Amino acid sequence: MTGGIVVGGWEFVWAAYGLTFLALGAFGTSIALRLRAAKRQSAEEER
Amino acid sequence: MAFDALPQPSVKAPKVAAGLIAAAVVLLGVGSYIGLFVAPPEHFMGEVQRIMYVHVPTAWNAMLALTFAFVSALFVAFKQDWKWDARLEAWLEIGVVLSFLLCMQGSIWAKPTWGVWWDWDPRLTTTAVLCFAFVGILALRRFVEDPVKRATWSAVATIVAYVDVPIVYFSVKWWNSLHQTQSTPQTVSSAMVTPLRINAFGILFLMIGLAILRSQLARRKLASEMAAPLPETANVGGVA
Repeated sequence: MTGGIVVGGWEFVWAAYGLTFLALGAFGTSIALRLRAAKRQSAEEER
Repeated sequence: MAFDALPQPSVKAPKVAAGLIAAAVVLLGVGSYIGLFVAPPEHFMGEVQRIMYVHVPTAWNAMLALTFAFVSALFVAFKQDWKWDARLEAWLEIGVVLSFLLCMQGSIWAKPTWGVWWDWDPRLTTTAVLCFAFVGILALRRFVEDPVKRATWSAVATIVAYVDVPIVYFSVKWWNSLHQTQSTPQTVSSAMVTPLRINAFGILFLMIGLAILRSQLARRKLASEMAAPLPETANVGGVA
């Protein structure tokens, strides 16, 4: 910081965006995988 | 009234969810591109202010997800419908993920602007309380085996925990907070409003799409859990 003005800081910007998309992507993938497993389980139960 | 018919998983819902998620990916791509490369840097915070284009939409949608959880909890409590219990589970999980993400984004933004990763300021403290309260409700759902008790108790706990949501929202107005007050189109430059709105709709569509899928998952789990157990001795050929 220089005289109350933040200089640079792109690494924080990339970290925030990277974390956001990583977390949302991982959560979405987790739901898709759990849903697929549940579908497989209910198909086995029906058999 | 009591819990009765189990909702069947919908055939149409996954297609609607896929459409919403696809739209969300496009919106978030466009919004983030504008936020990172087109919008001007802010005068005092410089480039670091670009974190706002993901942080503020996450905050709005986290509060909205927990509001949907609250509404679902009211329906569970007063209508005792499994469909709303599945929705409650979906919105709770999404609300918790977005709230934790919100805290982490805020922490990354705090370091270059406040000089610390975390401060026990009213906004941050009430948000942390919110995260842990709703994680507690997810844990409650995990550990209670009886579906009726699980639905009822988690609905009541959600209604109680939701009291913290307006406290989080108004914390920056009620107390002398380090965190800035809410941004509105009147307080943000028009060049900055566009990526903010695009990302807000992107996260909104994404969370609705994920909520639809997560609710379908909860319905399947519930159906499997409540399926009648197989008889211990099979009566083959009708002969006892």
